[in-house]
Amino acid sequence: MDSNQRPSRMAKLSRSLDRLRQSEDQLSLVLSLLIGALVGLVVVAFILLTGRLAARMYPAGGSGWRRILVPVLGSLSTGYLLWRYFPFARGSGIPQTRFALFIDDGRILFRTVLGKFFCCSASLASGIALGREGPSVQVGAGLASVIARNLGLNPKQVKALVPAGCAAALAAAFNTPIAAVLFSLEEIMGDLHASVLGSVVLSSATSWMVLHLILGDDPLFHVAGYRAVHPVEFGVYAVLGVVGGLGSVSFVKLLLGLRAWFMRLPKWTACFQPVAGGLTVGLIGYFVPEVLGVGYNHVEKVLNGDIVLKVVVLLAVLKIVATAVCYASGNAGGIFGPALFIGAMMGASVGGVAHTLFPSYTAGPGAYALVGMGTAFAGIVRTPLTSVFMIFEITRDYTIIVPLMISNLIAYFISYKLQKQPIYEALARQEGVHLPTAHSRALAERMQVSEAMRSPSAVLSPDLLITMVLRKMKAGEFDAWPVGDAEGVWGMIRSSELEQAADDGASNQKVAVILREGSRSGHSTTEDPPYVHPDQSLSLALEQMGTSGLNVLPVVSRANVHQLVGIIALDDILNAYGVAKRGSSMEPND
Amino acid sequence: MGTFTLVFLAMAALFAADMFLAKMEKAESQVEAARLFEQGRGLMQRGENAGAIERIKDAISIERGNRDYLRTLAQAQFAAGKTAEAESTLTELLQSDSTDGLTSLIMGRVMVKEGRFAEALSYFHRAMYGHWNENAAENRLRVRFELIDLLAQRNSKEELLAELLPVQDDAPRDLRTRTRMGQLFLLAGSPARAVDVFRGILHNAPGNADAYAGLGAAEFARSNYRAAQRDFQTTLRLAPDDQATRQRLDVCNELLTLDPTMRGLSPAEHFSRSLKLVELTVDEARQCIGPNPSPELQGLLDKAGTALKAHVSAAHESEVSESNLDLAEQLWQARKACKSPPAVDSSLALVLTKLAQ
Repeated sequence: MDSNQRPSRMAKLSRSLDRLRQSEDQLSLVLSLLIGALVGLVVVAFILLTGRLAARMYPAGGSGWRRILVPVLGSLSTGYLLWRYFPFARGSGIPQTRFALFIDDGRILFRTVLGKFFCCSASLASGIALGREGPSVQVGAGLASVIARNLGLNPKQVKALVPAGCAAALAAAFNTPIAAVLFSLEEIMGDLHASVLGSVVLSSATSWMVLHLILGDDPLFHVAGYRAVHPVEFGVYAVLGVVGGLGSVSFVKLLLGLRAWFMRLPKWTACFQPVAGGLTVGLIGYFVPEVLGVGYNHVEKVLNGDIVLKVVVLLAVLKIVATAVCYASGNAGGIFGPALFIGAMMGASVGGVAHTLFPSYTAGPGAYALVGMGTAFAGIVRTPLTSVFMIFEITRDYTIIVPLMISNLIAYFISYKLQKQPIYEALARQEGVHLPTAHSRALAERMQVSEAMRSPSAVLSPDLLITMVLRKMKAGEFDAWPVGDAEGVWGMIRSSELEQAADDGASNQKVAVILREGSRSGHSTTEDPPYVHPDQSLSLALEQMGTSGLNVLPVVSRANVHQLVGIIALDDILNAYGVAKRGSSMEPND
Repeated sequence: MGTFTLVFLAMAALFAADMFLAKMEKAESQVEAARLFEQGRGLMQRGENAGAIERIKDAISIERGNRDYLRTLAQAQFAAGKTAEAESTLTELLQSDSTDGLTSLIMGRVMVKEGRFAEALSYFHRAMYGHWNENAAENRLRVRFELIDLLAQRNSKEELLAELLPVQDDAPRDLRTRTRMGQLFLLAGSPARAVDVFRGILHNAPGNADAYAGLGAAEFARSNYRAAQRDFQTTLRLAPDDQATRQRLDVCNELLTLDPTMRGLSPAEHFSRSLKLVELTVDEARQCIGPNPSPELQGLLDKAGTALKAHVSAAHESEVSESNLDLAEQLWQARKACKSPPAVDSSLALVLTKLAQ
């Protein structure tokens, strides 16, 4: 009996899965949950494994020489593994994830996931001054990609699940589910209105729940509650924004410069290059152990005002150097964690000076360290919205939000002015990969219909006879014309429709008759005609032309779609992009 | 089907691995935190409070919410003079458990150090009625005695008496504690209760010099100078090296020779003591008046000079005695306006205070 039931249940389950596969929405929902849970478990394992490995590499009371030897050996071994077996697992993981998403149909190999997981774990545990969050993102994206491809989903579906994996990973790595969603949209997708929002939110929330189930409800940092002491403080936070912006640019430029230098070295040195990072961090760590690893425990100390001014300045400078060398030399690890560390130290430095000078008007250095974290994140990673939410979620302190926004905005502006390319874009370009960015997409969208359209002089009256219209059309260059009267535009009529009517012996009929017949048969462009608005992009107009098969579109008012404000032809668009035929008689109407 | 099965299997394996790693991490973290905490405590015992604070904070960052660590951190911060930080740490602890007796006690000490006495009193009371993990009764009594000592130091007589009365029956019955209780009642302005306590002690231990000294002091405070003299003399018989009691006996003897209100004095003796008091108050006044005394004080001094030189017949001695005592009182009051006020425990001050009553 039982043996008979089992295959039947399995068959039922199999059929359910098959049905699920056919329903795209349901599949997306189930996979988002599944990816969220799986990635959450993997990232928790990553965090715990790295922590336990680090505890064994640096036992309590261990010799100072360990601080040189362990990073060197760690970078040597992981460097070889990365070079020999996992070349796509180097670095942070964010540019690699974006590469897979935009260029490789969301394809990330399972081998890369494994390489990233184990190499990063060993590398970070050995004290390499990089972070775990970027690699987690690549691991999460990779797992989403592997599952989706194994299920035989098409590239579009695979690409839709990759951001869900990213969000799940970041939610677990930082314990910040909202910031993870924002980061996936803001940085990975480059579009806050992306259609994958639902699955990203679901996977992020699921992953966060898994994290809480296993590791509890502790935020990443425990901080004392801070409050603004005096309105004058906002000025100091603005200064912090400037310092944070300049510090961020210095870090990014140093990292990119060093990366370019390492890339110019002979190819055979590639597997040894990470040792430069290990040696640098080891030598610094011998004298200043706080620089080793991601250093979140020291960040927490600074947030609670437990490190003196001279030390925080020193730590900010040394961490910038250590992280830049470690990353540029090709070690596996991200820059999120170091960005927070550097920001906290810069913030504490500014706060320390301000509090010494104006003790009655300013909060302690801890409050500035808190804001500094977000400032550096906004300046280095260039995701200002994510950084605000991230700091809020990391610390669960709402009162610091306004100073954080002020400081972030200034740092972001300075960073944008002094370093045009965001760090991940610049890193990808160094590898010869040109990824699309939100900025580049915005540039493409910048040209609007209003800049290329012409006046609506050639509007056909619905009372005109077909023979007359055909004559007029033959003289013109368009294959369709807008038809309208004093009430407004009726729609578009194609020359092919008129020619068909003429062939059927209806040459003496009015255009209005054709339009009505076409509307009844559903073949005409009168019912739900294609049109664009003046503020829409030229690329959208091109898209509309492609869909409708027309080389001219009516441009109508947003307030009244029957009000024709102009027409736009294919030549107008080409002309606007500077590729129109020379000597064209049509001049766009600006 | 195969992919889903693999994913679920992987999830089950990862969950098991995560739980194992989390358990391992917790165990190792606890060991590491305990090690750091012990280091911190060792440093604290050696008086290296800054280092102790750092170590204990490290321990807390590993094992958050450990109340023992947090309490010890507060104690180290308090010992290092960082009272604001100690207060912050203790506030955090009390927010999660407002009935924590030990935490309330430390907070009370912090408040005392910060001079916030009213709040300190409140925290001491919370400690007395709060929750203690072990030896609750003993700890509560210890807290009450700490508060009593504090009130005694501040000479807060009424509050001191209010704390002493409930503890009277619960206090240990050993001689040392009972003697201390008697002395505290005396400090709290209740010499009658102190007399009862000391008499009780002498009933069980008739040769106890401390009890006699205390009893003498209590009788002295009740203005029973004769009884006090007797008790002080007994004390010195039992403990001849007790210099404090010898000084008290001297004061007592002086008092007995000065006090004009003692029963059984002849009119001549009463008159003689009144003149002596005028003479002594004039001497006291002259020490502080300077070259230009106020007309009022100068008038009193002139009057005193006349009184001291006057020849009084036996029939008028009683009458003149009373006016002399009035004059002595007036001079004493005027003397109080001096920059250096008179010693309140001198025999002259005590007699004049008694007269004023």
